[in-house]
Amino acid sequence: MKKTLLSLTLIVCCSFSSSAHAGETPQRIISLAPNMTEILFALGLGNRIVGVTSFCDFPDEAKIKPEVGGMSNPSLEAVISLKPDVVVMTIDGNPREFEERLRSLGIKTYVFRARRLWELPHGIRDLGTALGVKEKADLLAGEIENMLAKFRTAGKPAQKKKVLFIIWPEPLIVAGRGSITDDAFALLGEKNISDDSGTSYPKYSIEEIIRRAPDVIFIGRGKGMEEVSEGLLQRLKSVPAVKNGRVFYVSDYLYRLTPRTVKGVEELARYLRGQY
Amino acid sequence: MKTRFFIIIFVPLVVFGSSLVLGPKIINPFGMDETSREILFSIRAPRSVVALLMGMALGASGAVLQGILRNPLADPYILGISSGASLSAAIGIVAGLTFLGAFTIPVLAFGGAIFTGSLVGVIGWKRGGLWPERLLLGGVGLSFLFSALLMLMLSVSSDEGLRRATLWIFGDLSMSDWSRIPYGLIFVLGGMLLSMVRAKALNALILGDEMAHSLGFTPHTERFVLFVSVGLMTSASVSLGGMIGFIGLLVPHMIRFFTGSDNRMLIPASAFMGGALLCAADLVSRSIMPPMELPAGVVTAIIGSPYFLYLLRRKNVLGL
Repeated sequence: MKKTLLSLTLIVCCSFSSSAHAGETPQRIISLAPNMTEILFALGLGNRIVGVTSFCDFPDEAKIKPEVGGMSNPSLEAVISLKPDVVVMTIDGNPREFEERLRSLGIKTYVFRARRLWELPHGIRDLGTALGVKEKADLLAGEIENMLAKFRTAGKPAQKKKVLFIIWPEPLIVAGRGSITDDAFALLGEKNISDDSGTSYPKYSIEEIIRRAPDVIFIGRGKGMEEVSEGLLQRLKSVPAVKNGRVFYVSDYLYRLTPRTVKGVEELARYLRGQY
Repeated sequence: MKTRFFIIIFVPLVVFGSSLVLGPKIINPFGMDETSREILFSIRAPRSVVALLMGMALGASGAVLQGILRNPLADPYILGISSGASLSAAIGIVAGLTFLGAFTIPVLAFGGAIFTGSLVGVIGWKRGGLWPERLLLGGVGLSFLFSALLMLMLSVSSDEGLRRATLWIFGDLSMSDWSRIPYGLIFVLGGMLLSMVRAKALNALILGDEMAHSLGFTPHTERFVLFVSVGLMTSASVSLGGMIGFIGLLVPHMIRFFTGSDNRMLIPASAFMGGALLCAADLVSRSIMPPMELPAGVVTAIIGSPYFLYLLRRKNVLGL
């Protein structure tokens, strides 16, 4: 709780320092992260987006927007030439120097600071205030809060299940501490076996998985993922999850912090509580 | 001489043994439960065997290449073989190709390596034989080209694919299982045997083509055979676990400090010590920050380089 309060205070303090002023409604917005593009569309600002990154693939309308490059290497020229009123960035995904550079050129920026699941509603409200769509943001944030509260209060499992979310099987990368998936497991009252990792998406030890014996394994769905995972699952065949057929391929909603993330939590809950 | 042989066999065996027992958790081989037995036999053992094989391939091909190219800076990757393999594997990873299941990426890497090796051979071929300078420069040129293509591809790929491909390129032994070992074994041991049989010819080649000729060797034929052996070993090693730096370049030099430059001794000794070093590095990389794993290639260089520099200062090498 203390941590939550601290991060909330941090977000509030930081948001005052963002250079986009509350109230004005920017007409030309550039989004430098896929999750920001998604949130902007959800806030009904889709038609004001004039530029996105090459990774912005949701919703479908985002794919036809002009691209300004990748997340870590957007093109300064492309951004400037689109004459944005504000450039929306994220704290993790975009380089800080790029933001400084934009500001030094007199372009307004907004940095989205929410990283964890519980920070999402506040992040959306703050963004909405900065972009002049406060009511819509309140509505969306409220919906997300309600959904999250529902998961929190919906009967916790009698016994914590040991769970693992595999992002990629080879090399083995899993969702560790600080990832959105880890937050989702905590919210659902399950035990993420990789929550003692130093980074959010660590390269993980196979023998530790065997030793920790997860009851349920989730694997991020993707093109050819089942084939790629075959080898790994073969090697994990003695683990309860694999032995009892409790390996599930789930959508990638939990990879990005967006309104769809809640659907990702819902999906996990469906599998974990046996209602699939 | 006898003690040297003993050390060369003994060290890798000890390292291999400890790599089975030590790790994120120590396993007592005399009192294993079901889980520990599984971890030891199906996770650690194949992984250590792969580390040994890769290290052997790199050590031996480094020694051979420094000989045929007559260049102390040559390493198995200088011929562009690894960048060809990396490019082809990265294409597979980023495009999400899975036509052969778990074998897809190793097979792609091996194909890329063999293709690049042959291409270097074609470039290095002139007037009925392979020429060291042509091979070297051809390899460097191709290596630049493929690395540039790799960078190009990674800079336009998604962050996810980029991270996976980078991890693979840095060397990943964690996915080693028994199924890949027979293929690795055939190519690595085949290449090693081939180079050891021709070790005497390599000794002569180092003295110069004319000298080799007067000693009764056909330089072009010998060089071709040795080049093929290097190509096989390096390709097998890259496809087993990506690129591991340091071993191919510096292990042969370290061995020269102890055994001298006779290739009949240098090639097997570099192979065994290369294997031991990679096996040890892999042990460190998976034990030091559990449950996370570090790339073995990074650890190899961090362990190996200071020791190499120490030897360089202490021993009177190369008469320099």
